Parts: sequence; structure tokens; C-alpha cells
Amino acid sequence: MKRFVKIMILLTLAVALLAAAGCGGGDKDSGQAKEAKVLNIGFTGPLSGGAAFYGKDILTGLEMGVEQVNASGGVTVAGEKYTLKVTSLDDRYLPNEAATNARRLVKEYNASIIFCPHSGGIAAMQEFNEVENFLIAAYSSEPKLYARGNKLTLLLPPPYNSYIDPFIKKTMAEHGKKVAMIQSNAAYGKDWGTLFAPAWEKAGGTITINSPFSYNTETDFAPYVSKALATKPEVLFVGGASQPTAMVIKQARDQGFKGGLIVLDQAKFEDMADIIGMPALEGAIGIYPYYMNPRPDKAARDKFVSDYKTKYGKRPTYEHVWHYETALALGKALEKAGTVKDAAKIFESMRQVLPLDKSIAPIAIEGVSPKGGYTNLGMAAYIKNGQYGDPIDIPRTE
Amino acid sequence: MELYFQQLLNGLTLGSIYCLVALGLTLIYGIMHIPNFAHGHLYMVGAYCVLFLCTLYGLNYWMAILISMVILAVIGIIMERLVFHPLRDSPPTNSFIAAVGALLFLEAGATVLWGADYRRMPEVFDKVVNIFGIMATQQRLVVIFSALALMGALYLFMKKTLIGSTIEAMSQDREGAFLVGIDANMVSMMTFGVASALAAAAAGLAGPLFLVFPSMGGLLIIKAFVIIVLGGMGSIPGAVAGAYILGLAESLGATVFPAEYKDLVAFILLVIILSIRPTGLFAKEGR
Amino acid sequence: MTPSINSLRSGKAIYLALGLLALALPYIITSKYLLHVVIMCYMYAIAIYGLNLILGYTGQLSLAHAGFYGIGAYTVGILTLKLHWSFWLALPAACILASLAGILVGLISLRLKSHYFTIFSLCVGLILFLTIEHWDSLTEGVRGLIGVPPPNPIPLPGGGSIVFTDLNAQYYLVLLCLVFTIFVMNRIINSMVGRTFMAIRNSEELASTIGINVFTSKLLSFVISAFFAGLAGALFAGYIRFLGPPMSHPNMTFEFLLMLLIGGQGTLAGPLVGALLVNTVTESLQFMQSYRYVVFGPFLILVVMFFPRGITGGYYSLKNRIRLKKQPRAAHKEAPPVLAADHAKTKSEELRG
Repeated sequence: MKRFVKIMILLTLAVALLAAAGCGGGDKDSGQAKEAKVLNIGFTGPLSGGAAFYGKDILTGLEMGVEQVNASGGVTVAGEKYTLKVTSLDDRYLPNEAATNARRLVKEYNASIIFCPHSGGIAAMQEFNEVENFLIAAYSSEPKLYARGNKLTLLLPPPYNSYIDPFIKKTMAEHGKKVAMIQSNAAYGKDWGTLFAPAWEKAGGTITINSPFSYNTETDFAPYVSKALATKPEVLFVGGASQPTAMVIKQARDQGFKGGLIVLDQAKFEDMADIIGMPALEGAIGIYPYYMNPRPDKAARDKFVSDYKTKYGKRPTYEHVWHYETALALGKALEKAGTVKDAAKIFESMRQVLPLDKSIAPIAIEGVSPKGGYTNLGMAAYIKNGQYGDPIDIPRTE
Repeated sequence: MELYFQQLLNGLTLGSIYCLVALGLTLIYGIMHIPNFAHGHLYMVGAYCVLFLCTLYGLNYWMAILISMVILAVIGIIMERLVFHPLRDSPPTNSFIAAVGALLFLEAGATVLWGADYRRMPEVFDKVVNIFGIMATQQRLVVIFSALALMGALYLFMKKTLIGSTIEAMSQDREGAFLVGIDANMVSMMTFGVASALAAAAAGLAGPLFLVFPSMGGLLIIKAFVIIVLGGMGSIPGAVAGAYILGLAESLGATVFPAEYKDLVAFILLVIILSIRPTGLFAKEGR
Repeated sequence: MTPSINSLRSGKAIYLALGLLALALPYIITSKYLLHVVIMCYMYAIAIYGLNLILGYTGQLSLAHAGFYGIGAYTVGILTLKLHWSFWLALPAACILASLAGILVGLISLRLKSHYFTIFSLCVGLILFLTIEHWDSLTEGVRGLIGVPPPNPIPLPGGGSIVFTDLNAQYYLVLLCLVFTIFVMNRIINSMVGRTFMAIRNSEELASTIGINVFTSKLLSFVISAFFAGLAGALFAGYIRFLGPPMSHPNMTFEFLLMLLIGGQGTLAGPLVGALLVNTVTESLQFMQSYRYVVFGPFLILVVMFFPRGITGGYYSLKNRIRLKKQPRAAHKEAPPVLAADHAKTKSEELRG
């Protein structure tokens, strides 16, 4: 009996392996057969494991953009008609997996543009993307990525360091000069912290405690919040992913904190308000909610917001809209470049096709800087009396 | 000074959650000598059960916890039958690896079914109370006292019921228990059932304070292991003591040490203790 | 053992063929993607050989393995990037440092037995991970080490040089290390030391009664295993050239463990078979993404239940069974399905191949 079971399992295993091998082969064939019609846009990001939420979330914006391009007739490059297709591979947030995926996307799917939403993967791909000729569309604010001078990297999000001075100015005027820093200790939070702390002190403030902690592995945030509040700050500097940030703020309010909040731009007010309500966010400064952003054409913005909502059942945030509009711009750039292969030429055309026509551009990307980042200004909100107040323009610093 | 009382309260809350999880883990280890690495993920499943019962079916908070304790008990028994029972005669590493397989499955399954995003359980006891200057939501007090009540119930169950005493008998003397005709199968299943139900209770209590997401069990299980190793694996009083020690050490440690090194402190503490006493602080005998 | 001469010969032929195949591989598969996957498999295999020695041959489940892998990688990363050492000096330094860490950890942890050891090693793994993650000034913490230089070019006597930005050169470097690893492992398990390890695996009590110094042997095995984890990490650093803390997380150890168990613990071919198989299957099952562990989890359980020694072990058992059927009067009448018998069998196979 036992032997029978064993043999059965061995057989099943063998069949499964053969099937898997067959699948791999089949995929490749069909990929080549369809090559004339389908143009693959690569994506590598965390699609399983703890960070899967982030990767999948980002992907929605990109996919929606690509669908939009296809719905308006696809792209015609050098007389040949293509439909775009997002081919997404899972890298589990690991740089080496991202490198594996990139090579696969280039070799097996003929992708010449690869999106990646984490600095590790981007850095690993930058080691060979110029040689192997593909454009990285990077969603990361890591300053070192700007500094590396990679010629084929497009950086989507605006540089966060622009926010720091305006945030400090407003908060100091409204709440006081004593800040406790309890932001996330992930790379992004740390980067913010290293720029924020000296700027705050330079503006004449004091830091009562500088104690970032892990927003995604801690069970209970209360001990950190208690510790920070014991130093009697007037302002809390918080931020990481929206949901844990909301919990941190809630803990602080529960423990009687009444002061102001500086929220780094990864956390979105609209998402946090859904969880803990506007009153808890009173006196907070952070990034202006996208769905209310007045800078792009209102009709285009509202259409995108409602389309996204119908499709995914939630409000879009900047992550989604940056990817969406980048996909639109990419469609135009491919047509202008007249090539689906030459990444440098596509990137160059990308610079030329921006800005897009206002009526279709929900975030109105202005252009690409020499270093490869978008040139848009940032926009902040200060919450007073349960209202977002007037948007505060954030001048760009690079 | 106020800060230390605040942290004491935080530590007790955390300790209570740890305690319920670690109790289940140590019960299973005491009876079957299986380090059930998937126990934290049963906690996670329990949290989702309570969450859905509350939000989708609009059940009363306590009802939801009770029902998810039953659901988890069943899941625990199924796991015992499918995974650990067939491995009872294999080398110890095999059951450990099987537990890792189970945890990978549970986490991935939860991600597929319910998505990887953070969810939040509705808070029933959300009034802020002020006890001598310490501010806390009622939920924290609910956690602390419910955990105590559950421990009391567990004690009565072990001492006063037939099943309970069989479990205890078997953890004390395996061969002896066989000799007096205790059905080992039955005991194993019951142990897994009780342990998983405790995990569900812990999750239900902690739910409104923390966020619910598929990988929430991962870090907790390691803490729970630290606790039962501290307390001597298989020892029930050891697990209770260890849980409160770790909970308090963590919240007070967060006050004393830089936040970033807090996790390190817990593990280094364990390493030091194990280096001096290889079988934990409260162990009866070495195994 | 009498019929083994023939199989020895055919075995040699097979190994020769495999070796030639490995050498010619970059010219057979032209896809850089596939070559990259193979390079990663070899790298993992080197680390898994280390794990195999301590788990498969010595019977101690250590969950700190990825920690040593991380130490190896970060040593190379830091030495070459920050101190501008040559990769060729940093590589041995990484192996030595990983071994030293192995000695330190082993001295404390190996006094513990069974589950205590495993949990202890898990904590050590976490400590190593957290140290790498938090020691910003040394490791750049969560941001990771960006831009580790590739191995320095080796000048050739006739002019020109081997440049390691080239994928083929990397392939041969990793292959060379893999061959070295397998060679060393083969020597170890066929030596007195290796048999001591296996004696400990089968029963620590028995081993100590026949005069084996259990602690020293376990320590030796542990340190060698850390050495190879360090080697694999060092190669990783020179190849991927970006290092982030997740590579040293115990989750990575679980990945290694998965590959080892599926390939077959306690067999010489197991780690390589496991690494190649699991990675190719994962790559071809990419479309499954989040379902990956929904499948792999139960799979792992089935493997430990029915093939505690993985595919290689299963293959050997099957071969043995067929051979036993051919000689019905052989001493063992029916192969009992328990582990102990499997152990005994493998030993003879290992000696042959």
C-alpha cells in the first residue's frame, strides 16, 4: 500500500514536471508566434509573500494604462500595428530575482521596457540594462539611483526631499518646535529621516527623540508611541505604508497626543481617513490626496478616478496614476521612436512626447529632467477643522 | 515614571497575547514533541475568521471569537490528522519541516483568498480610559482580563475534565498514559484542537488593536518559540511566565534601548539564557 | 557490493558526460536568461551542499544557514566596495569569516539537541539578519549595498583578459566553485570523518558510546557548512552586485531547505538536483505567482512523508528495489519503508558513487 502511494506520487510528480517543462516550451512558442502583434511591457515586482500587496497594487495602474492604449487602437510603430501587453513576473522583492526576471523579459518576451517598483531590483537591473538594451521605468525615490547616471532609467515618483522644508515651515508655525521622530525604519522612512532631522534643527527646532521602528514586523506599536510621547513633543513625524501609519497615529491619539503630525509622502491621507477618520488626522501635513489634486485637468482626473474605482473598487492614489500616465506616454513614445527595440531611442522620444494632451492626462506629467526623473511639482495638504485646506505647492529641488 | 506605567500596561497587553499563543504551542510540544511552526499562522487564520464573522456576518464580537475558536479547533485537528499524525514515527526534523510546509501553505493560501493588504477589525471597546494618568483604550483592558479568564478556563479544563486530565497525564508520562489505556490519537487531536482554539482567541482579542494581514503570524511564532524555550519546552507555567516576561521586556526594552535594536535584544537574551541553561529556565528535565 | 563494478563504470561515463555538458553549456544555450538561471542554481547548490552536510549527513537542522550566506556576501560587498579590495582576496576572506562565525555559533549552539538546536539556530539566523539590517554604517542597512564591483579581470598570458561583466566568465567561475564543492563533499563523506558524521546522524548516543567525540564532529560539520554558505554568498555578491538584507533572512534558509529536501538530503547529487529542479519549476510556474507556496507547501509535506530523502533518495530506493527483485535470494527480503533502512542503503550507494 505504502509503496503504491509512493509510486503514485512519483508518477504525479513526473507528470507535473513534464507538464511544467511543456508549459515553458509552449509559452515560448506562442510568444514568438504572436510577436508580430503583441508588444510586451515588462514588470517585475513582489507579487507573492509579504509585499505582494504593494506589487499588485502598483500593477493595477500600469495595466489600466496599457488597456487604455489598446482601447484607443494600440500603437503603430514603423507601419506595424501592435497591441501592448503587460507581462508581470514575481521577484518576491529580491534583487537577484528581479535580475532573473529582467533577463527573461528581454530574452523571452522581447520587452524593451521594464517597470520595477523597488530600489533593490532597480539597482540590480542597472548593472546590465545599458549593455542588454532595455529601459527601466523605476518607481523608487532612492537618491542613489539618480546619482548613478544610468542612461536608460526613467524615475517616476517626484523626489521627496522637496517636501521637507515646506512641511517644516508650516508645522513649526502651527504647532511648535519640538518633534519626535517615529517614522518607519524601512529604506524610505530612513531616507526621509536623514534629510528631515538636520533640516528641522537648522530651522531652530529640537528633536526630542529619533526612534524609527518597523511598521510591518512589529505586533504592537503602542510601546514606541508611549516612549515618544513621554518626551513631550509638540509634533510627531510619522509615516510608512498608509494602514500601519494610521494605526500609529491612532495609538498616539488614544494615548492623549493632541499636537501636529508630519506624515511622509508614502502614507496617503485619504486611505488613512478611511481607517481612523479625519478627526484623528487634525493638524497633519502630508501629501495632497490625488483624487482632489487641482493641477491636472479636472475632467481627465475625475474620469480616471471613477474608471479606476469601477474597475478595482477603490480610490486611485499617486502610485496608480503615475504608472497609468507613463503607459499612455510610452504608447506615444513608441510610435514616435519608430522602433520597439531601441531603448535609448524610445526614452528620447518619451522626453519629446511629454506633456500629453491635457484632456487625456490625469496627472499631467510635464517632462523628463536630464537625470531621468519627471519634472512635476509636488503638492501638500494641511488638515485643519477636518478639511484638507488649500493645496500647498511644493517647489522642486533636485 | 508615568511612562513606565504606560509601558507596563502595553507590556501586559502584549504578554497576554503572547501567552495565549505560547500556551497552545507548549501544549502541543508537551504532548507530541512537535515544534508546530505553523501555529502562528493558525493565529493569522483565526484573526481573519473573527474579522469576517464581524464584518460580513455582522456577528457580535464575543460570538465571533467563540465561533472562530471552534472553526480553528477543527482546522487544528485536520492539520494534526493530515500532517503530523502520519509523521509521528519519523525523525524530529521531518515534523519540523512539515510544519514549515504547512505555514507556507497557510500564508500563501490566505494571500490568495483574502489578498495581501492590511485589514482592520472594527473596534468595539474604543473608549479611551484614563487610569491615574495612563491613557488606554478599553480594548487593552479587555485583552488583559480575557486572557486571564481564558487561562483560568484552561486550568479548570485540565484539572476538572476527563479529556483535560488525560492530556495532562500524557504530557507528564507518555508510556504510563499508554499503559492505563489512554487513546493517544484522541489526545493528540484534542491537544491540537485546544491549542488552535487558544490561538484563535488570541487573534480575536488582539485583532482590534493591530492590523490583520497574511504574514502577521510569522514574527509572532518566533516570539512564541522564544517564550516556550525560555520557559522550558512543554512546561505550561513556564510558557505563562515566559510570555509575560517577554511582553514586559519588549515594551520596557523599547523604552531603554533604541527601538531598532529591540528585536535583537529579545533574541540575544534567549541566546544567552540557552548558553547557560540549555533546557530553558523552568524545565523539569533535559530532553 | 559485487555488482557495483559495472555500475561504477557506467556511473563514471554518466558523470563524464554531465561534466562535458556543464562545460559546453554556455555554447549550447544562447539565451542569457537561461544561462543566468543556471548560474543562480549553481550558486544555490553550493550553499545547499553546506546545508546538506550538517542536515543530511550529520542530522542537525540548522536554520542559520542564510545568515552565513549573508556574511559571505556582505564581506565581499564591503571589502570590494568600501575598502577597494580585489575580489580574489575578498572571496577567501568571506569564506574564512563565515567559517569563523560558524565556529562561534557552533560552540554555543551545538551543545543543544534536536529542537532546541533548531530553534536556537533560527534565533541566530534572525540575529544575523537583524544585525545586517540595522548596522547602517557598515552594511547600508535596508537600503542595501549598491554597486558592488564585479570580480577583477584576470589577465591572460597571451594578452587580453577574462572580464567578469561577461556572463560566460561568471558561469565558469561559479561552475569551478561548484565542482570544487562537490569534490570536497565527496572526499568528506567517503572519509572517516564523513562516516563519523553519519554515525551521529543515525544515533548520537550510539556514536558517543563507540568513542566518537560528538561535539567536535558536529562542530566540524557545522563550520564546513558555514564555509560553503559563505562561498556561495561571496559569488552572489560578485555576480548580482546588489546586496540587500532579505538575502540573509531565515526565509532564504527555508528556500534552501526546500531545494535540499526535494533534491534529496544525505545524497551527493541531491543539492544540485534540487536547486536545478526547484528553480526551473519555479521559473516555468511563474504564472502561478502567489499560488507558488500553495503548491510548494503541501508538496514539502508530501516529500518528507513519502520521500524523506527526496528525489535522489527515491531514485536510489527504486533502483535498489529493482536490483533486489532481480536477486530474490539476497539477504534483505523486503525493503522496509522506514528511514533507518534507507540510511543503510544510501551509505552503500554513496560509497559507490
